Amino acid sequence: MDETVSEFFRRTILKIPMTEMMTILKTWNFLSENQLQTVNFRQRKESLVQDLVLLCEENRASLNDAALLDIIYTQFHRHQKVWDVFQMSKGPGEDIDLFDMEQFKSSFKKILKRALKNVTVSFRDAEENAVWIRIAWGTQYRKPNQYKPAYVVYYSQTPYAFTSSSQLKSNLPLLGQALTIASKHHQIVKMDLRSRYLDSLKAIVFKQYNQTFETHNSTTPLQERSLGLDINMDSRIIHENKTEKERVQRVTQEIFGDYPQPRLEFAQYKLETKFKSDLNGGILTEREEPLRCLVKFSSPHLLEALKSLAPAGIADAPLSPLLTCIPNKGMNYFKIRDK
Amino acid sequence: MELPNTLSQDGESRGGVLAHLERLETQVSRSRKKLEEPQSAQAVESALGTRIHELRRLRDKLRAEVKHQARVKASTTNVEPDQTLEITEQEILKRKRENVKAILQAYRFTGISGKLTSRGVCVCISTAFEGNLLDSYFVDLVMQKPLQIHHHSIPVFIPLEEISAKYLQTNIQHFLFTLCEYLNAYSGRKYQADRLQSDFAAFLARPLQRNSLCNLLSFTYKAEPEGQSFPFCARLLYKDLTTTLPTDVTVTYQGTDALSTTREEQRAAHENLLFTKPLHQVFTSFARKGDKLDMSLVS
Repeated sequence: MDETVSEFFRRTILKIPMTEMMTILKTWNFLSENQLQTVNFRQRKESLVQDLVLLCEENRASLNDAALLDIIYTQFHRHQKVWDVFQMSKGPGEDIDLFDMEQFKSSFKKILKRALKNVTVSFRDAEENAVWIRIAWGTQYRKPNQYKPAYVVYYSQTPYAFTSSSQLKSNLPLLGQALTIASKHHQIVKMDLRSRYLDSLKAIVFKQYNQTFETHNSTTPLQERSLGLDINMDSRIIHENKTEKERVQRVTQEIFGDYPQPRLEFAQYKLETKFKSDLNGGILTEREEPLRCLVKFSSPHLLEALKSLAPAGIADAPLSPLLTCIPNKGMNYFKIRDK
Repeated sequence: MELPNTLSQDGESRGGVLAHLERLETQVSRSRKKLEEPQSAQAVESALGTRIHELRRLRDKLRAEVKHQARVKASTTNVEPDQTLEITEQEILKRKRENVKAILQAYRFTGISGKLTSRGVCVCISTAFEGNLLDSYFVDLVMQKPLQIHHHSIPVFIPLEEISAKYLQTNIQHFLFTLCEYLNAYSGRKYQADRLQSDFAAFLARPLQRNSLCNLLSFTYKAEPEGQSFPFCARLLYKDLTTTLPTDVTVTYQGTDALSTTREEQRAAHENLLFTKPLHQVFTSFARKGDKLDMSLVS
């Protein structure tokens, strides 16, 4: 086995936490049960990794096998990457999309290889209709850098692709082109949506986040659900401003719904508007040019945090539509200019 | 009024408070005397008193009447007292209500059912294939001047935007029926692909190749359960998204041995079968007949 490949194996296996080692190796399914049994998983990690690399060499593992292991690791640790969303479009009145996964893969690989001789492209099918693509970029004179790969997750017959943004910006147009042509679309556009949580991004663009529907089969009628004010509380305790609290709960529920919010870490607003103030005078109000500033909201779970603002009394209900439109519009980057 | 100023430790304040309380007491007794005097207050009081007596009398009368009626009823019906009569009425109503609820719930078996919501209606499309109830999909509609879809659970690869652009505003029935067609066909194709993958994995060389809409299926297979090799390769295209049978079928012979006439016959027969019968049924017949293909299926 090539030195570089062996080193790549070593570094990839070293990344895997000990608690997940067995699961990931089994998912990879490259080393047999018998081979895994010969390895002592209780030794120090460095020695364990050495043993595993030796086994890989025995099995004559190739670069592609290593790339596959890397994909599986990334699938388990998808939150470590930041994902962008791209939207593709077709021309009007196109034929029925008879998506052939094998055709897509070979077309995608061919387009990249034609443009860049030094590139490693690997695929792993996921779920029923998705594919994870791993691309290691090289240049005309340099071999692909296996330690800074790009990932693309694509669901067949949908216009959306999710990419990890760790790659060099210069290769992005080529990646977009390959995706568009291979999936038989015409155009590709980067959406203003970014997050670590791939599943939340998928829920937002596929509109799968609001999945509560009223049916005759549902056992809990919506009206009976507690409005957040604990009805079972001691009757000696009186709620002040009960009507206002109920109004806030109702408005919040109308806007945010009863479903768990998709998970985003931030929302960014780039303002290029003239300064507006209630106070008369002041230096800033006299400026003719727009004031440029950046407002960024960060949170471990932004939408849940926004949902709890009005009930907690921190903000008025209803919240600004700039905040509440995030999942509907599929954006968490905004540029706001004066009309 | 001058206050006697007793200068003890806390006596100063106490003297002040006690004197204050004394003042309040005299004030109250003075105002009480004032109230007792005017005639109007007395008159109001007596009027209220008589009203209370009247209401009490009325209440007692009604109570007596109710008791009397109950006794009369009990005496006419020679069974148990009226308690059970009330309960059976309640039970009848309860049963009626449960019945209606069950009918409403059972409506989903018709394929399209709905429930009124605060903003419009939530339509439920329940798909089925060959008598098997499959997934349900929802469309929550808002009753506004341009009819709008509030949210839905239709998969993203079903052309919902196209269908709503064509029919949602003009012909809601057609909109729902078209959507129903697409979803039922998708469910049916998905069902066939799932069945092939799970029940007949032994007949396939490697996992079935499919896509989101299940409208392109590709697999390498054998027709004999005991055979060692997988001589055939099939490619099914469903160009019509409203059908569960393919529009294009290509079966190619992959075997290592030369293409004999029997093999050619088999190949052609398989092609024909895959055109006319659902995918999993074709493989069921393979499993049943073994290596002898029943030509009677080809009709």
